[in-house]
Amino acid sequence: MLGQYLPILALGVLAVLFAAVSFVASKLLAPRRPTSAKAAPYECGIVPTKEAPERFPVRFFLVAMIFIVFDIEIIFIYPWATIFEGLGLYGLVAMLIFAFAVFESFVYLVGNGALDWGPLKKQVPRTR
Amino acid sequence: MRTNVFALDPLFLDDVGFEEVGIVLLKVVVAFVMLLVSVMLMVWFERKFISDMQNRIGPNVAGPFGILQTFADGIKLFFKEDLIPERSDRFVFKLAPYLSLVPAFLVFVIVPIGGDFGEDGDGTVTWFGHETFLQVADAPVGVLFFLAMSSLAVYGVMLAGWSSGSKYPLLGSVRASAQMVSYEAALGLSLAAVILKTGSLSSHDIALAQTGGIVNWNVLATGIVPFVIFLIAGTAELNRPPFDLVEAEQELVGGFHTEYSSLRFALFFLAEFMNTVTMSAIIVTLFFGGPAGPTYAGPAWLWGMFWFMLKLLVFLGVFVWFRATLPRLRYDQLMDLGWKILIPLSLGWFLFVAALEIGDNRGWSRVVVAIVSGAALALGALLMSAAISASRRQRLDEQAESDSPVGAR
Repeated sequence: MLGQYLPILALGVLAVLFAAVSFVASKLLAPRRPTSAKAAPYECGIVPTKEAPERFPVRFFLVAMIFIVFDIEIIFIYPWATIFEGLGLYGLVAMLIFAFAVFESFVYLVGNGALDWGPLKKQVPRTR
Repeated sequence: MRTNVFALDPLFLDDVGFEEVGIVLLKVVVAFVMLLVSVMLMVWFERKFISDMQNRIGPNVAGPFGILQTFADGIKLFFKEDLIPERSDRFVFKLAPYLSLVPAFLVFVIVPIGGDFGEDGDGTVTWFGHETFLQVADAPVGVLFFLAMSSLAVYGVMLAGWSSGSKYPLLGSVRASAQMVSYEAALGLSLAAVILKTGSLSSHDIALAQTGGIVNWNVLATGIVPFVIFLIAGTAELNRPPFDLVEAEQELVGGFHTEYSSLRFALFFLAEFMNTVTMSAIIVTLFFGGPAGPTYAGPAWLWGMFWFMLKLLVFLGVFVWFRATLPRLRYDQLMDLGWKILIPLSLGWFLFVAALEIGDNRGWSRVVVAIVSGAALALGALLMSAAISASRRQRLDEQAESDSPVGAR
């Protein structure tokens, strides 16, 4: 059974080797003359004054949290999708209840603006 | 057509000896070389196709029709200075290209690229007296492996941006991870409809279930909607235009790989195009029958390969066409499309297909099932739009409060 994964392992090793050998080749071939200007963060030629920000808008975190909910739903759906015929009507009803529970909490999140981004568009009155 | 859930590559059913390992190594090396060559050709194809659409000539110096241009660029990058910015986290900075490249190579293993998928073929070929599939590995988890690897690719992007210690890469990588994560949910849900039809996670079984004519292809069998969602979500997952906000030049310079130069940049570039090729191949496998097609004279497995390549080329063209035609989305539009349209729609459609299948098994009338499901879907859409307008109203109120002189401090 695990033999099925042997080619994946082999290709993975080959890919890592390819990257490593390329790095070695680049190290041997490429010049190396670092200066402080080259090593500074790239900001289109302007000398950087501030450190890169360490804090993010919390919305990105919210997206990650909501994603986990859906990821778990997917994890439940896949095995169900492979054997749903054996489960029959009971399986369908169970899946509908489960999907409804997730969807309904998702609707609540959207209604509370958890997935709103950017400034609100103001409706500009049309001038004729 | 139902197939066994645990159909495995017959190569490993007996004991694994020297010959089996030899065949595995042969397959792996061929896949490896094919991927690298396909990236080279894909970059050339994209540049040539886009320049045709924009009424330019495009690369035409290196080799006939400029076909060696990518090769020349690759060699050039070997000779470029490799910079590591002083504010970077050196270990993670060096690790990130590996995390991008290795999953890009690995995803391709589940794609069946040929074999006899004609009227009564079972997709096997016989090499050196051993029966096997024309795909690198037929992992029992198949499609899950594809999802796992595309999630791993997010780490490469995220860590590359974070470890650079610079503004633009950081912003680009945060955007990229949020985008890839959002569209992965839609990708996974639209894929569930395919699994429902096939009853198996193995990519070989999915291709095999689609043999015997166009009506069996999943794109029609699942009712087009999952395919459209998969195509959109796949494009977003690849960070390709019109979803290339990750490297929106006007806003973020080069996005997450701004600080990468020389070969480290080349590996990100390689992974990106390899993912494009693989995503096209996976779309073909899941929705368009993979190597399935009519076979005529000559070896049947070669016909499978021919049909596969033909379909693959169409989708590569579609991705380039997207880039040439569609303007880039704004970030809030991107998030709205992913969360408020694609995810609910793919979930609803999956349940609809499941209800139809179960209804067929139990002899319910298709019309009744369709009407009931349609009503349920409409109710869901109503709830969704009510939620969207509720949140909009809330924001408008907040804005009015902060704008009005009474509410001002």
